[in-house]
Amino acid sequence: MQVSGGIEWVMVVNLIIWTGLFLYLRRLHRQVRALEASQEAPALEREP
Amino acid sequence: MKNRTAVAASWLLWLWLAAVIVGAFEYAPLAAKFIGQSSRILFFHVPMAWAAFTAFITAGVYSLRYLFGGRSQGSPRDPRHDRAARAAIELGLLFGVLATVTGAVWSRIMWGAYWNWDPRQTSIVMALIFNGAYLALRDAVEDAEKRARLAAAYAALGLVVTPFFFFVVPRITFSLHPEPVINARGRVEMDPRMLQVLLASGAGFMALFFWLHDLRTRVLAVADRALEAAAAGAPSAGSARATGPSAPHLGEPTMPTAGADPATASQRTGN
Repeated sequence: MQVSGGIEWVMVVNLIIWTGLFLYLRRLHRQVRALEASQEAPALEREP
Repeated sequence: MKNRTAVAASWLLWLWLAAVIVGAFEYAPLAAKFIGQSSRILFFHVPMAWAAFTAFITAGVYSLRYLFGGRSQGSPRDPRHDRAARAAIELGLLFGVLATVTGAVWSRIMWGAYWNWDPRQTSIVMALIFNGAYLALRDAVEDAEKRARLAAAYAALGLVVTPFFFFVVPRITFSLHPEPVINARGRVEMDPRMLQVLLASGAGFMALFFWLHDLRTRVLAVADRALEAAAAGAPSAGSARATGPSAPHLGEPTMPTAGADPATASQRTGN
């Protein structure tokens, strides 16, 4: 490993930011799926 | 099954970009002629610019599909293509701004100032202004069908304008900017380890763009369906949920309640 000074901290901060963004996107993905399902359910009920 | 694949793919992307971050700081060597550690910004700045370019081209392609897809069979225009084009432009602006900011930070280190009116700096900002005007155009037209048609024509024009700003303008005059990955002699003259990390980062950012694009397009579709339900006078689960506390998480403006004026509601969402 050839890491000098504070650059290691920069890497850790980058990893934390990416992990936070990823978890937010996973949560958003679940919410969108739930909304899509809730919109499809009434439509199916109305069909003859 | 489809959802499981999507979940697995998203975790794979997390792992991929985490490996890129570690590789950028620990595996790739420092580039010659760069001050200190500044060359490491290359592994994020360049892929962001690639993602922005891909986004603007994606918007142009979806706009062409909106304008001409299925028209020969007499079928109506597909609003899904309009939503996909809008989502691509929004994400292109996001990645473009991030590329500009990371470029400015690097410029401060290398050239002593955040902004130098370098042809490449200037041309990407021109591209951002051009594509930013797409959103202004959307907001300026009330009629939904007319708005989608005008916006699609404008974004399709971007298929010519965007490559011009990204590839032609920076090469017309002298630039302080380092050579592109494939230089003027048609060669890739970069340390192999740097190239590996750069290409891996490019692939990761591309995948991230397409994931974000899918999410944003679906959010816009949910909002559209909620608006249609509201216009029809029947409150849908989506509109009911969207007016609740969960709405801000989707990044959407508040949905109208049942029976609201659809034209006003449409204006509110800017769609």
